[in-house]
Amino acid sequence: MFGYVRPAQEKLTEEDRQRFQAVYCGLCHTLKRRYGQLSRFILNYDLVMLAMLLSGGAVCDCDAKRCAVHPLKKRPCMGCSDALDTAADYSVILTWWQLRDGVTDHGFWGSLKYRLLSRLLRRAYQKAKKRQPMFDHRTAEHLQELAQLEQEQCLSIDRPADTFARLLAGAADSVENSVHRRVLQQMLYHLGRWIYLADAADDLKKDLKSGNYNPLALRYEHTDGVLTEESRRALARTMDQSIRMMAAAFELADFGVWTNIIRSTVYQGLYVVGTAVLDGTFRRRPKKDNPTRKAGA
Amino acid sequence: MKDPYQVLGVPSTATDEEVKKAYRNLARKYHPDNYHDNPLADLAQERMKEINEAYEAIQSQRKNGSYQTGSHQTGGYSGYGYGNSTAGYGYGASGFQRVRVAIAQRDLNLAEELLNASTDHNAEWNFLKGVICFQRGWLDEAKRYYETAVQMDPDNREYQQALDVAEGRQTAYRPDGYGSMATGECASANCLRICSILMCCSMCSGGGGYMCCC
Repeated sequence: MFGYVRPAQEKLTEEDRQRFQAVYCGLCHTLKRRYGQLSRFILNYDLVMLAMLLSGGAVCDCDAKRCAVHPLKKRPCMGCSDALDTAADYSVILTWWQLRDGVTDHGFWGSLKYRLLSRLLRRAYQKAKKRQPMFDHRTAEHLQELAQLEQEQCLSIDRPADTFARLLAGAADSVENSVHRRVLQQMLYHLGRWIYLADAADDLKKDLKSGNYNPLALRYEHTDGVLTEESRRALARTMDQSIRMMAAAFELADFGVWTNIIRSTVYQGLYVVGTAVLDGTFRRRPKKDNPTRKAGA
Repeated sequence: MKDPYQVLGVPSTATDEEVKKAYRNLARKYHPDNYHDNPLADLAQERMKEINEAYEAIQSQRKNGSYQTGSHQTGGYSGYGYGNSTAGYGYGASGFQRVRVAIAQRDLNLAEELLNASTDHNAEWNFLKGVICFQRGWLDEAKRYYETAVQMDPDNREYQQALDVAEGRQTAYRPDGYGSMATGECASANCLRICSILMCCSMCSGGGGYMCCC
């Protein structure tokens, strides 16, 4: 996943902020405990949101811990929980398949980075696969479906987004309470759809250059990877509709201690990030053009 | 039955005005308009029922008990209801009655099968195709089917309303303190603030191997 999902900071209380940090640090420590120091590089905000959604909103016990990034000051850190363990497993599996996808999408030189990183993650992935065979299977399936749609040069934006959305929604399949499960599945479905579309918008220019499949390029009018004003509004509208679906679902379940953080995400944070992605300011430090990519493309 | 005050989220010492305010806010939140064609509409409907019952219970308690204030209006908001669950799909002469029933029962696969078996792709067919897409979360395609339905039958209010919802032209519920928002219409200066506030977690890096913006 990609790091787009963030709460709106100004809507959080000091307590919320500490909680958010505690789950972030908790997930990081969980990754280290389950998959070793190296696996920590895969951590991002989207996965933190996944951990919060899966955790059922119970009050978390927090320890103060130090780590390599914060060696001087101890930080609040959420202790062990099933939700963190599951989120860590899913993170490893998702990242692994994303890297493998990067390998097949790029030529020899272009894929070097992906091959190197997936080499680093291989052992962690094998462990995660044993722990979550179903999720691993579904992730592989999702990528197969996506490859099929790519081959067809599918004109719909909903169909490719649906494969990723269903994959995320599946993370809630094991929730026992049926109301909570339906709410989570709906939230995760539209979170997945929104992330897929945001990522496609973010990569549009790059994909056109390298010739990779990008459904937005086929669905909307654009000039050299920049959507026309009208296209951009149409894309924004359909992304906003997914956010509203998430918000409507969010109101139907109790998210305990995470309520305020999730509320600020679905009523504000996602709109702000979406705006930044669509006007190209999301990455403050744009990726340097990688000279090897041209050779590889 | 749950404690009606708990349902409305107010203490039992709340004034009539406070109770009414809490009720109105919740009624706005679970209003049918916010869950139009939403696959979770049944859950919102249950919630609405609970809130209506709680409000009525408090009102009659206060009317009959010592807490009476004398100036309440019964069921000021009882108009907020969902009717029966097939209402939205029941009325009118429909050539696709079975499809509508299948949708109301949340059996989208059956509904789609029945639709695909039909060769008459009229306005209603396009509308129902849109409803199925919408419930599945295929929002862009839903919008396109609704557009076709409206084009073919511009006077049909049902189709027009569905399109309005899909286009986000209806005002959705927003919690207190959250103004209206739309992607592309908020200043991106805010975004930079988001990034800097989370500097504490500066270890973040994107899954694709890039460092993210903070």
